[in-house]
Amino acid sequence: MSTTDGFGATTGASASVKFPAWAQHTLVFVIFITIWEMAVQFNWVSALILPSPFAVVAAWWDLAIVRGIIWPHFFTTLTEVLVGFAIGATFGVGIAILSAINMTFRRLVSPYMVALQVTPRIAIAPIIVAWLGFGMEPKMAIAAIICFFPMFINALTGLMQVDHENLEMFESMRASKWQIFRHLQLPGAMPVIMAGFKTGISLALIGAIVGEFVSASEGIGVLIQRFSFQLLLPQAFASLIMLTAMGLFLYGVATFADRHIVFWRHSDLVNKISRRMRAKNAGLAGIKPAE
Amino acid sequence: MHAVQDITTSQQNATSTAETIISAEDLGMIFSAGSVVALEEVGFNISKGDFISLIGPSGCGKSTLLRLVAGLLKPTGGSLSVKGDPVTGPRPDIGMMFQKPTLLPWKSVMENVLLPKTLAGQVTKQHKEKAVELLHLVGLEGFEFSFPGQLSGGMQQRVALARLLNTGAEILLLDEPFGALDEFTRERLNVELLRIQREVKATILFVTHNIQEAVFLADKVFVMTPRPGRLAQIVEVGLPRPRDIEMTKDPDFNQRVFEIRDILGGTI
Repeated sequence: MSTTDGFGATTGASASVKFPAWAQHTLVFVIFITIWEMAVQFNWVSALILPSPFAVVAAWWDLAIVRGIIWPHFFTTLTEVLVGFAIGATFGVGIAILSAINMTFRRLVSPYMVALQVTPRIAIAPIIVAWLGFGMEPKMAIAAIICFFPMFINALTGLMQVDHENLEMFESMRASKWQIFRHLQLPGAMPVIMAGFKTGISLALIGAIVGEFVSASEGIGVLIQRFSFQLLLPQAFASLIMLTAMGLFLYGVATFADRHIVFWRHSDLVNKISRRMRAKNAGLAGIKPAE
Repeated sequence: MHAVQDITTSQQNATSTAETIISAEDLGMIFSAGSVVALEEVGFNISKGDFISLIGPSGCGKSTLLRLVAGLLKPTGGSLSVKGDPVTGPRPDIGMMFQKPTLLPWKSVMENVLLPKTLAGQVTKQHKEKAVELLHLVGLEGFEFSFPGQLSGGMQQRVALARLLNTGAEILLLDEPFGALDEFTRERLNVELLRIQREVKATILFVTHNIQEAVFLADKVFVMTPRPGRLAQIVEVGLPRPRDIEMTKDPDFNQRVFEIRDILGGTI
């Protein structure tokens, strides 16, 4: 009997397996949940310490659907992450661009960048809160500071790794510095910048939650802390699941952006764009229509 | 050297009437880092429409010489002029191609070929049709909208050649352009390069360290020797054109190859 892995790809490893990949994943998930439930049912672990999966689902249903009180917190945290990331990424990529085009600037800022890298940035959180108060602003600032560095270092690495012969090719065509940046350096750096994007967006989420732990009245971090203090662990777990969902969503957005910005690394997209370009230029003399 | 010139007198007479397009006198290049003498006392005249091969072992300064002509480097001694003007930087009538295809993977084949026009300003429909023509000339019909990552190394160099031709340069500098390709692909591309040169009537400087390739392509072979890089001798090839791969069996062809090997063997 032939099998597929559920994604249409055939791999050597899956050829000997009897179940499709989704069934395998479901099976593992069911086993995991069953063991968790049994651990609570048979009192291997106290239900006060580890709530049963059904208790967590019930708590989530109550918080998210029946009362709906989790959503304002969810969107507060999401806003903090997105704004924080936007600020951190803008500064990170911006300072990287300045460093890449100006050697003096790079030399002058690099000690501060190293200092920022070696300092545990979470430790800045209380100071930021002291400066900016108890609203969303300090969380955005902490998220920005935490995701700044990977964005900066990835963008700088990407911008600096220009191939020498490519540069000579542009110079021999008398390209301006701006043209070299626009047509060679920046697009060439995009794969590394987008890798930084993926790391940065996850770090921004950590930053926002740390900020909420330090001091806040709203946000998923606040809920988790509040529920934990009250020993309402099913509710704490339900809030945690909301964070997992948020993390997955953000990572999905980053992956989507990476695929479409760095499209030339993905053969399925390249083929699609290639066909679209051919169709668009079908009127050009000498172009044969696609077969 | 005399024997070489006797055989090729007729060829020389044919080219000596053509105007000089590149001329170098006492050209020298010392790299300040480690004061390496890359080139010393290099002098030559190149006529319009000539195909020149630059050959020599690694470190003989042939790539440096090419970059001086391209205006990418400034000589530290002597003079170098193109069409009578001293070379002060990259010029629109000189184009260069490298061992690596140096294509932009995020641009389609077509967009890569259009790069010189993109850098010059607006890309028009005429520009696009010219690019399609050039892609047909280099044998890439049907690959206009492919991306470099989808092409083999040989095809990528064909794209690079089409892009070079699209600069409109009449002097083409080729730095071991087929050096990274397998022998069969290299042979085929050499034959096509000669066909393309007949069509576009460019002056070509071709750097290689393959003696057979140098002789097969060129009207004259500049034989260079290392440490310091000098132009040891100019060998006139004087074999008839058009040439095809059968020519490599010709005794005259092999004689040129042996002559060059002797020159290189005596100086390394």
